[in-house]
Amino acid sequence: MPLDIDPAIIGEEFDRATYGPITAEELIAYARALGETRSEYTEPGPGLVGHPTYCVRYRGTRWFPENLPKTIDVRRGMDAGKDIQFGVPLRPGDTVELRCTLHEIYEKTGRTGSMYFTVLRFTMTNQRGETVAVVDNRFMHR
Amino acid sequence: MVLRFEDVLEGDEVPTRGLFLAKDQVRAYARAAGQWAPRFTDDEGARREGLPGMIAPGNMSVGLLTALLESWAGAGTVRRIGATFRSLVLPDRTVRLCGTVTEKHVETRTVEVDVWLESDEGERWVIGTATVGLGG
Repeated sequence: MPLDIDPAIIGEEFDRATYGPITAEELIAYARALGETRSEYTEPGPGLVGHPTYCVRYRGTRWFPENLPKTIDVRRGMDAGKDIQFGVPLRPGDTVELRCTLHEIYEKTGRTGSMYFTVLRFTMTNQRGETVAVVDNRFMHR
Repeated sequence: MVLRFEDVLEGDEVPTRGLFLAKDQVRAYARAAGQWAPRFTDDEGARREGLPGMIAPGNMSVGLLTALLESWAGAGTVRRIGATFRSLVLPDRTVRLCGTVTEKHVETRTVEVDVWLESDEGERWVIGTATVGLGG
């Protein structure tokens, strides 16, 4: 079934949330779970920064915008992939503002029929307005 | 130590890292990443969701591939990473993290790297590309 998309929903912000302040313990636990042993990721002190992918823990309060086309069943979505542009590292005491937009919707037809993909963009900035990361979350819906 | 741009050639391989992906490590990741859900923490809960058993979060694969690149090029060198989750990543087995340099860009002193996470049998469960900034 062709997608009936209101172009106005592309790029529209559908959620915003603020997190933090981040603690050293949170950053260290995340890095250690990845097997990191570098001091900049695992030792408390002025040199501690978050592992670059720590930002993926922030995902807002709503996963999808409410005005998606009805053709897309968000309950049957699968995590298909992720693209991350890294900005400045996170440090203990930082706060993160997350803005969520619907970045893209497209359809692909495979052997088993049509699949729809939604790309949700999470833009994260710290308390100084610096970009921490831009994360594109790609979901597949049958 | 940060890898020098001049020391990298197209076709170079990032040293492969073998990793036994223990269930406890996946649970530790799920807790630290705010993804504490049955599919990532216990086999029975995952089976109730129709999965073969607990799986590793896709975000964990991205984190492990980023860590691989940083162990090669240095902390803070990864500018971008993109990954496609082709298959479930099942813990309690050995996986390999791999990469190959595909392009060098002199003007930005960056390299493009194909990265992937594969099973012990060589099946690529996660594939992706990354941009790495190099010094020197």
